Amino acid sequence: MANAGSQEPPSKRRRFFSDADEEIHTSLLVPLSFSSPTVPRARFFENAVDRHDQPGRAIAASSPSALPVARAPLSEQDVASSLNRLASPQTAVSALSESASTSTPFDQTTFESFVGEKIGADVLEILVETCGNDIERAVNMYLDGTWKIKRKFPTLPTPNRLSASIAVSRQQGNLTIRPHDSFRPVPESRYIGAFGVEGWATRSGHNLLKHGDVIKIERQKIQPPKAPATKGQAKLGGAQSTPRMSSAARRVDVIVRFTDATGQELGRLAKDTANWVSTLMDQRICKFEGTCVYAPERLRTNDTVFLQLKVSLLRSAFFGRKLQTADNRTTGLFQETETSEEKELRLRQVALVRLFQEIGLVPSRGNAAAAKDQRQGLLTAAELAENKAREKTKSSEKDNPESSPHEDEDEDGEELEQDQLDSLYKKAQSFDFNTPEAEPAETFAMTLRRYQKQSLHWMLAKEKDERNEDRELSMHPLWEEYAWPTKDYNDKELSQVAHHPTFYVNPYSGDLSLDFPRQEQHCLGGVLADEMGLGKTIQMLSLVHSHRSQAAIRAKESSSSVGSVNNLPRLPSVSSSVGVSDAPCTTLVVAPMSLLAQWQSETENASKEGTLKSMVYYGSDKNADLLTSCCEANAANAPDLIITSYGTVLSEFSQIASKNRDRGGSRGIFALNFFRVILDEAHSIKNRQSKTARACYEIAAKHRWVLTGTPIVNKLEDLFSLVRFLRVEPWNNFSFWRTFITVPFESKDFMRALDVVQTVLEPLVMRRTKDMKTPDGQPLVALPPKRIEIVNIELSETERAVYDYIFTRAKRTFNANVEAGTVMKAFTSIFAQILRLRQSCCHPILVRNQEVVADEEVANAAADAAAGFADDMDLSSLIERFTATTDDIADSNAFGAHVLGQIRDEAVNECPICAEEPMIDQTVTGCWHSACKNCLLHYIKHETDHHNVPRCFNCREVINSRDLFQVVRHDDDDDDKHRGCLGKEIRISLQRLGTSDSSAKVVSLIERLRDLRRESPTMKSVVFSQFTSFLSLIEPALARAKMHFLRLDGSMAQKARAAVLNEFRESKKFTILLISLKAGGVGLNLTSAKRVFMMDPWWSFAIEAQAIDRVHRMGQEDEVKVYRFIVKDSVEERMLKIQDRKKFIATSLGMMSDEEKKLQRIEDIRDLLS
Amino acid sequence: MALPKRIIKETERLMNEPVPGISAIPHEENLRYFDVEIHGPSQSPYQDGIFKLELFLPDDYPMTPPKIRFLTKIFHPNVDKLGRICLDVLKNNWSPALQIRTILLSIQALLGAPNPDDPLAPDVAKTWKEDEQAAIATATEWTKKYATPTNQTDQ
Repeated sequence: MANAGSQEPPSKRRRFFSDADEEIHTSLLVPLSFSSPTVPRARFFENAVDRHDQPGRAIAASSPSALPVARAPLSEQDVASSLNRLASPQTAVSALSESASTSTPFDQTTFESFVGEKIGADVLEILVETCGNDIERAVNMYLDGTWKIKRKFPTLPTPNRLSASIAVSRQQGNLTIRPHDSFRPVPESRYIGAFGVEGWATRSGHNLLKHGDVIKIERQKIQPPKAPATKGQAKLGGAQSTPRMSSAARRVDVIVRFTDATGQELGRLAKDTANWVSTLMDQRICKFEGTCVYAPERLRTNDTVFLQLKVSLLRSAFFGRKLQTADNRTTGLFQETETSEEKELRLRQVALVRLFQEIGLVPSRGNAAAAKDQRQGLLTAAELAENKAREKTKSSEKDNPESSPHEDEDEDGEELEQDQLDSLYKKAQSFDFNTPEAEPAETFAMTLRRYQKQSLHWMLAKEKDERNEDRELSMHPLWEEYAWPTKDYNDKELSQVAHHPTFYVNPYSGDLSLDFPRQEQHCLGGVLADEMGLGKTIQMLSLVHSHRSQAAIRAKESSSSVGSVNNLPRLPSVSSSVGVSDAPCTTLVVAPMSLLAQWQSETENASKEGTLKSMVYYGSDKNADLLTSCCEANAANAPDLIITSYGTVLSEFSQIASKNRDRGGSRGIFALNFFRVILDEAHSIKNRQSKTARACYEIAAKHRWVLTGTPIVNKLEDLFSLVRFLRVEPWNNFSFWRTFITVPFESKDFMRALDVVQTVLEPLVMRRTKDMKTPDGQPLVALPPKRIEIVNIELSETERAVYDYIFTRAKRTFNANVEAGTVMKAFTSIFAQILRLRQSCCHPILVRNQEVVADEEVANAAADAAAGFADDMDLSSLIERFTATTDDIADSNAFGAHVLGQIRDEAVNECPICAEEPMIDQTVTGCWHSACKNCLLHYIKHETDHHNVPRCFNCREVINSRDLFQVVRHDDDDDDKHRGCLGKEIRISLQRLGTSDSSAKVVSLIERLRDLRRESPTMKSVVFSQFTSFLSLIEPALARAKMHFLRLDGSMAQKARAAVLNEFRESKKFTILLISLKAGGVGLNLTSAKRVFMMDPWWSFAIEAQAIDRVHRMGQEDEVKVYRFIVKDSVEERMLKIQDRKKFIATSLGMMSDEEKKLQRIEDIRDLLS
Repeated sequence: MALPKRIIKETERLMNEPVPGISAIPHEENLRYFDVEIHGPSQSPYQDGIFKLELFLPDDYPMTPPKIRFLTKIFHPNVDKLGRICLDVLKNNWSPALQIRTILLSIQALLGAPNPDDPLAPDVAKTWKEDEQAAIATATEWTKKYATPTNQTDQ
């Protein structure tokens, strides 16, 4: 014992947990890697030594003998701790008193009878350890689970370091009051390896240094104490808010000196090494001890010296950090720039990784390596990029330790494919079809599909925190396990420390730990990310039914048995945040405005009558006092479901924010702590800086869920916002997220970033896709088939003239800019011209339309000015020619009744040209002879092509091609019932050919709709266009064809939208819904329609597919036919090719900068104009 | 290429409601190819003759007229040695509203009313104009010689 205390001499070396007599001869001989002599180690263990002559250790050491047998496994540690550890007098006394009291042994049997189950020896040990003889406390501790915390931290730091003890007290809560808790054996430092290094002399002289000399490694003498340094830096960083500055200030300070035994400086380490060694020393992670390997006999300044450095990890490395992280967590929120803490963290991480590389320590267990194999195939491309990045990082590390990995190294815009996203989802999506199912509560009125029952089980488990056993055991995937070396560099056996064969390193953060890092999920909710159409709403509603709070159940019981004691209203229990009352029965649903009605109706459909009270809390309906109606006292009558919009959340939040965030005053959403909150279409909050997102974060609720089909819309940060809302530690801290996900990703370290994201996603996300198959090969949801047909449109001559004009012009502009190298500058103007070109495919009038609304609104604004279309005489004359052929509308009044009668009678005849009976689209010549429209046009074209004047096939009158009239029969209009009785009184009217339909696309659309109406007079269709002004041009054509239509676009208010959707759904007749591609993108359910008409292609088919899926989604019962209108020989056709080439454009993945996106677009444009 | 509805309909009608004195039967292996027989109109030099023709419907029929030719030798100012026929509705005056039936009727009518002013066979037309009696006699003789069933084999 005394030996241990007097271990002052520098020649002695101490090791973790070594026992007394071993310590006596642990002075290790330090061999040089390339020569033999060995030298005793210099002392390196100042602070430990200082405390070693404390009294009372011997007494403490004797205590194990008095301890009950149950403690036996620990006693060894206790001895060790007593030996190694500085023991303050008080603690020694307490240890003594404990040993005295525990002379009455802890009665295991009694304890087990209390808790009603068998207790493992290890558990018992902890309980005894913590509670001593206090069985009551032990029982409490066992039942409330706090003993697990004890287990998690079997080794605790000494109280001599204030910071460490604070960290401990935070983790331990009330348990730390017992002083002996902090008495755990943690050695001050432990050897992990050695490496060779170069240094250079700063002194000259003979025999200053010779082979085998022990040298001390020190940081600059002027180095201020660590804590102030950190603060100073924080201030610096904070005040100037430029991390560059602080890093520049830091750069000076990497000098590492080596001195002889007397502390006289001999030289410095080479800068390359000093860079990271200094970090490790400054941050008290490692201790370095050196021996000279080679030095010239006569040493001169600047001579190279070879040293061998032996590295030991300091105890502070394992405990110092925790507090910092905690600090970081509270202060670093929403800081986008790197804070000084983040910087330190990064330096530390780089240094540690470097250290491990130098000493050649490899993880004995790590998840990254295994994961790499799995993803090998998927991410070969990414890996290549990663290797490249890694090399760069390495080299830059050598040159300059400050070069942070997040600096964008180059801008080569490599295209990233869907694989990236796929692999992100891969883990979360690896859905096991054998997972347990849960039956929904009886009050739930719908039947769930199997996979929905499975997710219900999962959701219930998440809410009740019943963890999956497998998951509990798995190591936190960010961590790697390392075994302490068993032999030193000289192949000499090192003594091992009991219970500590390994330590753990988080290479992402540079954190070290002695404890097994478990993967924990504290979040009592998650992400339901099933693809659209798999019934997320229904699944969520089944959860609302199946898991109600205790309070809600009690309330139900009490309301059924009136007068019982339970019926007494309880005081509203106030949760941690002041002024917020619990709403224990209520689930809050936040959804986009347009889906409120849908939520409400689905809620009604899914619930047996009277089992679920729901209310919409929106706009003028929100006069309800939520605080009163939802609080616990009113549990029996509280609404179970409150449906509100993001806008409402935002506006209430703003009100509160303006009142200094005093929640107490409000009586709305923010006055309550809900039982559960559900964000529907949660990508609405993907921008973490948006006010809406921030408002949502503040919603208080026990269980937090988000629903979205696209957890990642286009940036990895999108996911962050969800995680932030869910409050998943530690990922909800943006600096943490940024450091471990965004930064590696941006610096092309895809593997690591994807790894981490998968880790975040896996336990949190349930995601199934529509194309998943059950093990027996059945699709998850059997949807009726969907057929997509491309309708080729031929432009009319006049349209073609407009198109060609714009095309030539766009091409000229583009080529000129390419030659001049100003493509990027002229981007807006070029893009505007392409937009015009695409519009001219739809309808030439769009080109001159001032209020064209497309998704490229920005480009559009500048369009007219930039392209100079406004005062373009050529173009307007072309358009005039087009309108001349369309604007005059022939009317039935212009013809005598007998002519009409004759035409009507002829209609039933067969076409004289194709013998079709009756004629298809009966069309009459100026001499009133009828044929099918196409036959007639074909004939005229044939004659013209053969340089013949087209003459009437019947009377040989010359046919004026402008005097052709299509016969519009009104028998197929919506008032079907009149058709039968009015028989021959069918109304017809004539329309000059080409007028009713204005543009070729519209003509084709109307034709198809006519055919459709003839075949299925009650079918409903949806017409999508990205140009709302094009929809406005389709409207009159539909009106003329006497077709019933509705319209939905972004400009409409919520009520109007709901009304339109409702009318469309309820309509029993042939109805067409005109809808803008943008407005139709979100959540709409249009399954009552069976036909989809896509009027114009979008850059990426994914967007179109999403629109189509509004119709082709769960609930669709019939085959869906989709017609995509594409103008032949036009940009539209080429856009299809671009769509094909990259099924998923990288731009929409958000992995490209704006510049890169533009470049990408320019490539596309080049293709379009080629 | 699938047979257009129009050709099918015309064929059916030719079979079901044949025109007196005219028959047109499609080849089995090519339904656009017809064997045609036209009886010479009475009170004409072609009376009692049965004239064989071949008729072919081109791809863009009915935009273009059928191709039709006499197989039986005939002495007629509007039919040349190769059997080709000069008839306006087969050329410029074709209309897609015309049909096989109407065309064959036109040809039958042409036999009854030769038009030497718009000749295809100039020598025949010359004879016809200069000595109509002789021409008619020749025509009658040719009809007997070439278009009478018993003499078919001689052809």
